Amino acid sequence: MRKETNPEDIDGMHSAAGILTSTGGMTSHAAVVARGWGRCCVAGAGEIHIDEKARKIKINGKTFTHKDVLSIDGSTGEVMVGEVETQTPKLSGDFSTVMKWTDKYGSMKVRTNADTPADAKRARDFGAQGIGLCRTEHMFFEGERIMAMREMILAENEADRKEALTKLLPVQRKDFVGIFTAMKGLPVTIRLLDPPLHEFLPHDDKSQAEMASRLGVKRSVVKNRVLALHESNPMLGHRGCRLAVTYPEILDMQVTAITEAVIACKKKKVDAQAEIMIPLVGTANELKLLGDRVRVVMAEVKEAKKYTGKLNILVGTMIEIPRAALTADQVSEHADFFSFGTNDLTQMTFGYSRDDINTFLPDYLNEEILPRDPFQTLDTTGVGQLVEMGVQKGRSTKSKLKCGICGEHGGDPESIEFCHKVGLDYVSCSPFRVPIARLAAAQAALGA
Amino acid sequence: MAKKVAKKASRAPKMTYYFGKGKTEGKNDQKQLLGGKGMNLAEMTRIGLPVPPGFTITTEVCDLYYKNKKKLPKGLMDAVNKNVKMLEKELGKKFGDTKLPLLVSVRSGAAVSMPGMMNTILNLGLNDASVVGLANATGNERFAYDAYRRLINMFGDVVCGVGHEYFEHAFDRIKAKYHAKEDNDVPLEGMIALCESYKKVFRKHYGKPFPQDPIKQLELAVEAVFASWMQMRAIRYRQVENITGLLGTAVNVQSMVFGNMGDDSGTGVAFTRDPSTGENKFYGEFLINAQGEDVVAGIRTPQPVAEMTKWNKKIYDQLLKIKDKLEKHYRDVQDIEFTIEKGKLYMLQTRNGKRTGAAAVKIACDMVKEKLIKEKEGVMRIPAGDLTQLLLPSFSPSAKAKAKKTGGLLSVCQRRLGLLSASSPLLRLRLSIVRLRAKKCCSCGKKPTPKTSTACTRRLAS
Repeated sequence: MRKETNPEDIDGMHSAAGILTSTGGMTSHAAVVARGWGRCCVAGAGEIHIDEKARKIKINGKTFTHKDVLSIDGSTGEVMVGEVETQTPKLSGDFSTVMKWTDKYGSMKVRTNADTPADAKRARDFGAQGIGLCRTEHMFFEGERIMAMREMILAENEADRKEALTKLLPVQRKDFVGIFTAMKGLPVTIRLLDPPLHEFLPHDDKSQAEMASRLGVKRSVVKNRVLALHESNPMLGHRGCRLAVTYPEILDMQVTAITEAVIACKKKKVDAQAEIMIPLVGTANELKLLGDRVRVVMAEVKEAKKYTGKLNILVGTMIEIPRAALTADQVSEHADFFSFGTNDLTQMTFGYSRDDINTFLPDYLNEEILPRDPFQTLDTTGVGQLVEMGVQKGRSTKSKLKCGICGEHGGDPESIEFCHKVGLDYVSCSPFRVPIARLAAAQAALGA
Repeated sequence: MAKKVAKKASRAPKMTYYFGKGKTEGKNDQKQLLGGKGMNLAEMTRIGLPVPPGFTITTEVCDLYYKNKKKLPKGLMDAVNKNVKMLEKELGKKFGDTKLPLLVSVRSGAAVSMPGMMNTILNLGLNDASVVGLANATGNERFAYDAYRRLINMFGDVVCGVGHEYFEHAFDRIKAKYHAKEDNDVPLEGMIALCESYKKVFRKHYGKPFPQDPIKQLELAVEAVFASWMQMRAIRYRQVENITGLLGTAVNVQSMVFGNMGDDSGTGVAFTRDPSTGENKFYGEFLINAQGEDVVAGIRTPQPVAEMTKWNKKIYDQLLKIKDKLEKHYRDVQDIEFTIEKGKLYMLQTRNGKRTGAAAVKIACDMVKEKLIKEKEGVMRIPAGDLTQLLLPSFSPSAKAKAKKTGGLLSVCQRRLGLLSASSPLLRLRLSIVRLRAKKCCSCGKKPTPKTSTACTRRLAS
């Protein structure tokens, strides 16, 4: 139960049975994350007043504490007192018949967004044909890892940073081996670290003190680092590939972990198909610099591990900044694949912040300024042009450039139809939407 | 200016489409022009189903009505008169007749279904003379006066803006006078007195007497249906449902059949397959001795359609045959409405049935197996987004109902609640399927003033 959620809450959200927030909407952080896990979530329940400090909530004059049980229905938005009995879905033989049809008639592949071996396995059971987006940052939040991550962020020089990163290397490698194994024979696109570093640090006094004592530093050190990392507009700040440009050792560690994991899998005869994705690229030069570095690190690891076989690791980029789409012919010179991150592409094309859109979106829909929420259904006239142009320009340089989409739109039937039309090779969506996307992809192919 | 409009109207295309034994003019690709209801009435007539004859006034006429400053276009009433003559001839009945009077229903019907959003008038054609005719024809005087008072009430309320409550008060006075607890306890004299007092209420609040000329009644009713296209709730419904690009509503004028003519009469609604599970089983409910609106009002509880065998096996078997014929013809699940008048079955409506995600999957697979549709069509038939319903756990409906009953519901998106209400289980099911299928949430009809927008919960995790 939160006013709103942020990535810090990830652990709590993952262990929660359901998520209820008083602000936000269908595409806010809580909703997006919950959807990926198939977790029930009601976001933006404005009648609910949440007092996070007192651990109390008030709904229509009634007060509830952590001892009370509430039932929330994610499909209707209803909030009920007490535990309401549920029924689990039974997937019938008819369902698998329909899924067989989709394979027969669909031409686009459907991948999934998954960050853990468990998610990957579940999506595979639903028929996912690969992972289109594996976010590595979620791996840093779990349990002890966050401490090593924070140590790395607090480090004042490269040597200290590298030391902290060495602690993260084995856990990342283990995660990747798990995911490659779950997805053997299918491609897995791994996105290098994307969020700004401040998201990994605690913001309240108590947690900051806790962190300081765990890491054996003064409280002021933590506090100052948090202050130093503060940005007025983090969405457009020091994140994505910009982190890798300033702190290449983070990229080195992640690429090492991926390459080592692929080698480990190959040795066990597990067919790992890794694709390394560099996020938030806006210029060809960014991708040239970082792509070259990725390839150098891969070669180094191969040599260190004395591995002589082929790894076939692709290196590509996310197209989520309009400039990258506009200059896709140059960007694709350094890319094996493009993945359109249409969440950010929509934010930056419209100039809307996804997390703040709910203050004005209802009016925009009512006045028919927008036909629908552009974060739910791809705006084909505007943002779609950038996608189409990105595909065309990209393939003008590299005719076999693999193109896909990994935003929330990858699970929306209308947007999928558009993806088919502009010639994408795959869409990627949250595990629970995989069957929907497969059906929509088949319908798009049949309707064309 | 007026001349110009008249000239335009005279060049207007065909305004009415007849359906009946003599001829059926509508075709099954004219949904935009005839509305869903009008097109399907024509189609059912064409394939030989028992449909009470009538005619449809096109959506283009509705468009002209609005372009013509909310006046019926010239030439319309001539066309209507011609169609009424055809109806009279086919049925051997006459408007305003004292022996065999013609009575009609007047209903809206746009190209996209908008349940309950626009106006309907029943029993039109009754007046002081034809009420006697109806009594003679049916041998049931009380029934005739009951029908008449229902018309005055409905016509007053829907066409002339006379508040329903004025009629209610008058009814209460009559009930008190005859010591009647329920509407049905009022004797014949009471019903006759009620008609007189309803006419007074009508005159008092409308300023003019209740129109005795059936053609005048029809003209006013058609206008009222057109006007209801732009009433607030209809506009809001179209906003919420993202319905755009329609010319307007069509008007269906259809000869009346009565489900309340005694214990050999009845009315019902049904799906050709179970819309919640998809099972290939005739699924619906009916009420003996009742009109359609009694089912909606929920005063009495309808029986499952399977129990009809005990009441009238012949009708049940006929319905099963019609069900198969409709599915073969439309190659999809149909949602039908029917009425039985004195042991004779009439079909009043058919349309593609809304269904849950689970039902959509089962129905598509079954219909492919039955060779009713091809595999590719099966793929296209399932709304992809509705698969969500199959993949996530849900609250068991009974447990949820119980929680709500005990006041456990704390907060909910108020989307569409209040627009529609229904007490019949089948109608509730229809509504719940409509809601299940609703793509977006937070499209409460209300404009989001700060208060209402915060009172709204958004739907998620789908």
